[in-house]
Amino acid sequence: MTQPSLAAARPASWPPPLPLIAAKFLELRKRRILMSVTAAFTVATPIIFYGIRETYHLINPALYGPAGSRDALATIVTLMAQFGFIVAVMLGATAGTSDLTDGMFRHLVITGRSRLALYLARIPAGLSILVSLAAVGFTVTALATAFLGGPEPATVAAALPGDLFRSGLWFELYLVVGFTVGLGLGSLMGQRTVPVVLLTVWQIIITPALATHVLPHLINAQRLVVGVAMYQMKPAVLAAGVIVSPNGGEQLALPPMQTWAMTAVIAGWIVGWLAIGGWKMATRDA
Amino acid sequence: MTVTSETGGSPRPRAGHPVAGQGGDWAVEVHELTKRFGRIAAVDNVDLRVPGGCAFGYLGPNGAGKTTLIRVLLGLTRADSGTMKLLGVPVPAVRGRALARVGAIVDEPRFHGHLTGRENLKILAAARGGDADKQIGPALDRTRLTQRADDKVSAYSMGMRQRLGIAACLLADPQLLILDEPMNGLDPVGMHEMRDMLRGLTDEGRTVMLSSHLLDEVERTCDQVAIVDHGKVIHSGPIGELVAGAGVAVEVQCSDPAAAARVLGQPAIASSIDVTDGGLTVTLPPGSAREQTAEINRLLAEAGISVHGLRQTHARLEDWFLSVTSRLGEDR
Repeated sequence: MTQPSLAAARPASWPPPLPLIAAKFLELRKRRILMSVTAAFTVATPIIFYGIRETYHLINPALYGPAGSRDALATIVTLMAQFGFIVAVMLGATAGTSDLTDGMFRHLVITGRSRLALYLARIPAGLSILVSLAAVGFTVTALATAFLGGPEPATVAAALPGDLFRSGLWFELYLVVGFTVGLGLGSLMGQRTVPVVLLTVWQIIITPALATHVLPHLINAQRLVVGVAMYQMKPAVLAAGVIVSPNGGEQLALPPMQTWAMTAVIAGWIVGWLAIGGWKMATRDA
Repeated sequence: MTVTSETGGSPRPRAGHPVAGQGGDWAVEVHELTKRFGRIAAVDNVDLRVPGGCAFGYLGPNGAGKTTLIRVLLGLTRADSGTMKLLGVPVPAVRGRALARVGAIVDEPRFHGHLTGRENLKILAAARGGDADKQIGPALDRTRLTQRADDKVSAYSMGMRQRLGIAACLLADPQLLILDEPMNGLDPVGMHEMRDMLRGLTDEGRTVMLSSHLLDEVERTCDQVAIVDHGKVIHSGPIGELVAGAGVAVEVQCSDPAAAARVLGQPAIASSIDVTDGGLTVTLPPGSAREQTAEINRLLAEAGISVHGLRQTHARLEDWFLSVTSRLGEDR
């Protein structure tokens, strides 16, 4: 036993130390099923999508247009965003609950490390996995759009890099929102399955319904729903994406939101859910 | 704080001779601690002091509040009132500093099953910071897990998980180990190994506080003990003194145990009598055990009961425990 060094001060909670982030990254990365699902919905989806489209195009170019058209871009990015949101929720909820459900939370608290630091380390650890896989998936999409598209007018072609950049950012932001909401709700509830089911239902059924219907007496409060704000923030090039409404309509029933309003709603959801999760983490009995 | 040599050359403190505490330097200090769950006080106004450098048993029946006290001490849950110190540092006020040299296992040790033992320790070392990662190898060696360190924890036996829990504790190079029911789920060989490991740790001058409902294990492992029941500490002290206080019993082998029990059933002779096959056990009241034993022999001879054997025995911790804890006493 070495001499006591009790005077050693603990570092602040933010930023969480790199080894702590790396440890959480390791824990998440080693979850094979979760990683497979995440990779499938972020990377494999555009590969399969463009693979099928290109095959059809090669077989019958007259009937099937180029695989990398603008319509195809809008369709695949919207699909990837929908699937990716659910995967991001799963990853976030797992990051928020795995220590607790596996019984490691006690061990970690007993180390004396602040609970907030333990919580905050989950954010970069989880996002580093999600954002990097999403970037790979979107790169596939961008390459397909750039190299498998048909001839376009010069002005449209010139705008492509900018369109792709904005689409990529929007896609990544969508997943970041899903991750943070999943992390916060998972940490609050202390278990993974219910938050994933709730947020999947929220995303697939409730959000489109709120976005495409005028609800009496609600004075357009649906604009506070993050999915609605994200939909309004969608880049113009993606506007022709798949229909998200369960009743078949794509048009929003709400007045357009100002950019600051969209930004505030999205930031509010991210910060709010992270704060709720952090509060629960700090006060939970271990 | 006084500690024995880390080389293990010095003997560990024995019962009644704690190396710390007499000058007010305690490994654990708890004062008027209360933790309630609704109307039930799981920890009820507890005062407890654990001397440094000894093995201290926190003994009580299931549901007595042992684990709750440990959880409060470690900051896993909040106390309703009272003050606590670990290694002289107040908790939860300076919890991070206090826990820097504390290792603990609470309840059954569980880990990420999809990770190996070594990876789990890496995660805990990262949380501890400092040189904790350098302790992973020695901790695995000490707990004899090196060969299985790269297997997934989901494939570990209960005993291996307990040992991994101890390895996790050792990452802190702890002055104080707090172990909640460390013998739970272990087979006899595992219990023997755990006992040896705990002895080795105290031999190095570390303080080991362990909770248990296994009286025999506490008696074998610990120097000092606190008995807890219904959330209250009802007795505390060196095990030797507690056992001595339980008195002396005489095992009598005779031709007619039932008749012998009737002859001896008077307060001056026996404080209690248990009739067994072929004999009886007489717990003597306070006084000279030698003379009382002779008196038993005389009374039985006068009653015409053949005495085949008389043997004095010291009451064990279990006897004392049964006499002072309400629940087990009621079960007798």
